[in-house]
Amino acid sequence: MSAVVETSTGHRPSPLMRLPDLGRMWRDAPLFTRLALFLLMALIPLYAAMALDGRTFDGESPWLKPVKFHYALSIYLISLAFFARYLPPAMRGHRLWGMFSVIVCLAVIGEVLWLSAAAMQNTASHFNTTEPLFVRLYPVMGVLAVTLTLPSLIMGIAIGRNKDSGLEPALRVAIALGLGLTFFSTVVVAGYLSSGTGHAVGVSTRDLWLLGWSRDAGDLRVAHFFATHALHGVPLAGVVAAALLPARFAMVAVVVASLAYAALVGGTFMQALNGQPFLPWLG
Amino acid sequence: MTPDTLFQLSGPAVMAGWLALVLAPLMPRIADGVAALLIPLLLSTAYTALILVHWSSAPGGFGSLADVMALFTHPSIALAGWLHYLAFDLFVGAWIVRAARREGINHVLVLPCLVLTFLFGPAGFLAFSGLRAIRLTETSSAAAAR
Repeated sequence: MSAVVETSTGHRPSPLMRLPDLGRMWRDAPLFTRLALFLLMALIPLYAAMALDGRTFDGESPWLKPVKFHYALSIYLISLAFFARYLPPAMRGHRLWGMFSVIVCLAVIGEVLWLSAAAMQNTASHFNTTEPLFVRLYPVMGVLAVTLTLPSLIMGIAIGRNKDSGLEPALRVAIALGLGLTFFSTVVVAGYLSSGTGHAVGVSTRDLWLLGWSRDAGDLRVAHFFATHALHGVPLAGVVAAALLPARFAMVAVVVASLAYAALVGGTFMQALNGQPFLPWLG
Repeated sequence: MTPDTLFQLSGPAVMAGWLALVLAPLMPRIADGVAALLIPLLLSTAYTALILVHWSSAPGGFGSLADVMALFTHPSIALAGWLHYLAFDLFVGAWIVRAARREGINHVLVLPCLVLTFLFGPAGFLAFSGLRAIRLTETSSAAAAR
């Protein structure tokens, strides 16, 4: 355990030179951190089920989807838990924030239970039009999905306004813009994606390794992926900009990087809508 | 993996746990780790996976004896039920060994309880509870005599 206390003032070394204290996540966002680890541990029975299950759904194990979501939601929660250190301490300790965290965690748990329940029955979770229970659950899951995306917006705003975060301004703005972009672009892309009939635009016959993106049709999940990972991509650009550039240029670079990232999300979204695969020469 | 393969794997796994319990006085920490944690967790994982995969296609239910019997006509659910026995019997066996250690009950007296728990789970628990009850009255009457 490091006893170093972060101060809000004073000169700090380059962000690339100091490694963040990961143990802080337990204290800064105890619920998000614990749920992220629990989702990862739950992968053990899910992989065991995958190994035992001889059934297929759309040509793949029905358990592939819950497994992917457990990884994705765990990465998301652990990222929020990491960024929580830059929230104003008064907000982290506030009862409302605690209650909101509980609601977000319940939404995440609801989503993964729904996905595994669908896998148990070897039926569709998203886009289910046949099983009455799952047809009725789908809009509820949309509400849960927006709920669990909401903390990225709230944290983005709070971090953007927190002058005492101890961050260089360019990096702080990058984290705020990244979190905000995650919320808005995910809600738009995933909202469109989930209101259709499937993630493919056109007929897909080949998938990219691991990510499963179509190699010969449009795939709306590409834009969803980049949209949701804005909270990684834009802050990463911020880290580089803050390390390499003088403060004023770093801020400009961060804004340009955010716009470029938004363009990447928009571009991959348009590409999928036009039925074109993302970088078809990949795998 | 077929239910039969998993069944055949489960036997040796659980035997390792019981062997550790029999030898518990020689290696208390290893026995606790293997019999109370490692093997039950492995069996619980297999059980959970079987239920996740097969529950939706299983007949019967919990509502009546006929329902429960119907449930166990499904090979994978019957295997899950069997793993449930194996896991929880071993877990109770491990608890018996720890309770006996804590209360200073001689391991020689514990061994028959372990054999009963291994073969007929609840009967072994009953036997060990009887043993404890006798020791409790023994110690309290000894305290009263002093």
